[in-house]
Amino acid sequence: MTRVVHPRTFGSDLNMTAFIQYTVQGLAAGGFYALAALGLAIIFGALGVVNFAHGSAYMLGAVLSAVLLTTLNVHFWAALVIVPLLMFAFGILIERLLVRWLLRLDVLYNFLLTFGLSLVLVDVVKNLYGVSGLPYEQPAGLQGLIHVGGVTLPKYQLFVFVFSVLVCVIVWVLLTRTRAGMIVRAATEDPDRARALGINVSRWITPVFGFGIAVAALSGVLAAPFRAITATMGTNFVIILFAIVVIGGLGSILGAVVAGFLVGLVEAYGQAYAGTFAQIAIFILMVIVILVRPAGLFGRRDAA
Amino acid sequence: MAHTRRKVVGAVALLSSAMLLAACAGPAATSTSKLTDGKVVIGVLNDQSGVYKDLSGPNSVIAVQMAVDDYKAKYGDKAVATNIQIVKADTQNKPDVGNVKAEAMYDRQQADVILDVPASSVALAVAKVAAAKKKLYMNVTAATTDLSGPTCNKYTFHWAYDTQMLAKGANGVVAAGGKTWAIVYPDYAFGQNMSKSFTAAVEAAGGKVVASIPTPFPNDNFATFITKAQASNPDVIGIMAAGGDLINFVKQYNTSGAKAQLAVGLMFITDIHSLGVDQFTGTTFTDAWYWNYDKKNRDWADRFLTLTDTRPSFAHAANYSAATQYLEAVQRAGTDNADAVVKELEGKKLEDLFLRGGEVRADHSVIHDSYTAQVKTAAQVTEDWDFEKIIATNPAKDAFGPVNPECKL
Amino acid sequence: MLDIAGLSASYGEAHVLNDVSLTVKPGEVVTLVGRNGAGKTTLLRAVMGLHRDIEGSISFAGRRIERLSPNARARAGIGWVPDDRGIYASLTVAENLTLPPVVHESAWSTEKIYEAFPVLALRRSSMGTQLSGGEQQMLAIARVLRMGSRLLLLDEPSEGLAPVIVQRIAEIIREITTHDIAVLLIEQNVKFATTVADRHYLLAQGRIVETLDNASFQAREPELLKHLGI
Repeated sequence: MTRVVHPRTFGSDLNMTAFIQYTVQGLAAGGFYALAALGLAIIFGALGVVNFAHGSAYMLGAVLSAVLLTTLNVHFWAALVIVPLLMFAFGILIERLLVRWLLRLDVLYNFLLTFGLSLVLVDVVKNLYGVSGLPYEQPAGLQGLIHVGGVTLPKYQLFVFVFSVLVCVIVWVLLTRTRAGMIVRAATEDPDRARALGINVSRWITPVFGFGIAVAALSGVLAAPFRAITATMGTNFVIILFAIVVIGGLGSILGAVVAGFLVGLVEAYGQAYAGTFAQIAIFILMVIVILVRPAGLFGRRDAA
Repeated sequence: MAHTRRKVVGAVALLSSAMLLAACAGPAATSTSKLTDGKVVIGVLNDQSGVYKDLSGPNSVIAVQMAVDDYKAKYGDKAVATNIQIVKADTQNKPDVGNVKAEAMYDRQQADVILDVPASSVALAVAKVAAAKKKLYMNVTAATTDLSGPTCNKYTFHWAYDTQMLAKGANGVVAAGGKTWAIVYPDYAFGQNMSKSFTAAVEAAGGKVVASIPTPFPNDNFATFITKAQASNPDVIGIMAAGGDLINFVKQYNTSGAKAQLAVGLMFITDIHSLGVDQFTGTTFTDAWYWNYDKKNRDWADRFLTLTDTRPSFAHAANYSAATQYLEAVQRAGTDNADAVVKELEGKKLEDLFLRGGEVRADHSVIHDSYTAQVKTAAQVTEDWDFEKIIATNPAKDAFGPVNPECKL
Repeated sequence: MLDIAGLSASYGEAHVLNDVSLTVKPGEVVTLVGRNGAGKTTLLRAVMGLHRDIEGSISFAGRRIERLSPNARARAGIGWVPDDRGIYASLTVAENLTLPPVVHESAWSTEKIYEAFPVLALRRSSMGTQLSGGEQQMLAIARVLRMGSRLLLLDEPSEGLAPVIVQRIAEIIREITTHDIAVLLIEQNVKFATTVADRHYLLAQGRIVETLDNASFQAREPELLKHLGI
């Protein structure tokens, strides 16, 4: 019997290569989501604030990177450190001046406050830098492609994935291995109970808010070489972040990270195999999760 | 930044004082005027705050003011339009808002003509208002061919460009060896229209479209679509997205290591400025006008620079052209009566800063020479905004599609 | 140690506590007895500062505290064991134990805690909610002992626990009261209540209807149980 070489063999190799590329692309997109959603989950957990301005923090992270590059020649690698620090200070300011005063009221008040804040920030950036966006160079050392086991992958996307995982791991270590992390975890899980145990939660939530903003800004710095840097770049982004936090389980930090990468993958596979359907796919995933596990993938029933 | 803002504030102050002076001079002139209501009101209706703010927006108003100043300087005492006002409004790129604002402009502010109007859906809505009010409407910044097709009417003129004109750029690319194309387009009215026009143009030029990939709109993640486009191994990947989506696509395209040549369907100079010339180097596209093409353009662009602190997009120049040709038509007609002005425009051959070999066609599409532009390398850029090398000039008769048979005038 | 005078509490329009006055002296164990919805838990939450819609005065160790934040009250020496035990799921047993600050020199050391509750020592690196109900209850009590709280607010500590564990908790309560620690206890388990308590306040519809010492409570037990619907 003659051995028949199916033409399909070649095709499936090609499909496998494409699948790996889609996976890396999905994980890179997920990296942006995971970092920003991590910050959103921490803020929601510790303060009970649904921070609508989180998309603006992501946007400001990218805009600041571009402005620092053109005015002070601060390059990508330095921006990865400087921008989150600046945004940490900005977050502290916002918490002290605005968010704090509404914490005792219904969550809706801070939702509306941060919604208004996001509109203001978007318009301020529009006024200062216009609407068509800011230029940004490709960071040194991350241009071009890398060959891994026969698959060609863009270096930058691989970097975004690895870097975001690394940051998530560092945050995880800080949360689980330090006393500050322990207190943040407790305050996130049940702030009232932490108060009753003698913990001054309000002293902790200011830096926690700043931290959440800083991580979102870090996601924005990563986006600067890869996405259009415009005043409105966070507007749709934040909607997807909310979907991610719901999928992961409200207030669950691990859930936000896992769901962030998951949504990135769903988006990539959706785009690859279902075209323009991709963006709806995320929300279908959200609906399924809400129906099957109302508290989210990692949410506790009592937290829902 | 403070410098820029001072300039903008200065320009606005200049503008408003000019308007105030014009208003003061008004009553004296009305006695001898042949104007229907003693004044000519030019309405600039566009996006004052959203995605098209930079490429049209407030600077379109300044371009129109330049046209008014030039008209006054040219005719002096002999000017028919002695009292010219400019009014502006923001459509927010929403058809319903555009509809209401256009009605208010024609009725309450007594606008004799409306200019600019980016975003195809808004542009089509305003065309219907113009037809109903029997007032002039010169669309500058919308791309849809429907303006001179199904929704064409006696009072609507389509001034600067359309999707078929943009698609003509494919000819040159195919001729230069880019035979097979993958077209990536945002899945909404503009993108679909662009995709159709480009597919037709590529095939007419003897090329082949091997993949046609719709993407969500708006979208910030194109990596997967780029991989998909690459899978068909095309010579050229044509991207039909505009604004922020275009920039997202190009940034991600450049990190993807894709080897196909990139062709951009619609590009404004503001896009190159915002992304940086490096990311676009070598890309070819069809331009309607370029500020550094010749001395005439450059002189005008220098005036524009002093008023706005930025270089003009082709839409700014086209608004200047539309306002100029409107005022010239009023001058020839000796009145601002809409029907008389339309008569002075129809079938005319026009020549100005923007219109080279210009002609108002039977379907009210205003054709003119277009340009095949290539983005320079960073080393070739000698001053800010000098991003384009014009590699070919396409004569007006070849630059646009045929007269639209769907238009019955 | 604890003096409450004229305390009223409400949730919006609904009045939950009405002109409640009570005292708990150092070393004393006092229970709040009443039907569900009588306002017992609200009273503990008001003392802890978690329910703030109140009128009247609350004094602890001779100092008015009703304006203090919950964490200031905890630091002043009030320890709360809520009815759901309040163990953090995302913290290990050891972390749950060492999370709160030590507020008094009489605080138990972790060694002493692990000696008194060997099961907690065994499971010190398990996550909080992997513990059984009884173990969680022990951990919640151990936690306030480690803080060194002078007044313990215990919300149904015996609920759902095996008799041996209830026995053990009773022993601990008796031991700590010898060190002048006061206990305010909500208890449905009358047998447990009468084993550990010195006095009982009967709460009905937000009011204190009767105050009894342990002997008279035991004497009138059947009648009271019927009255309270326990």
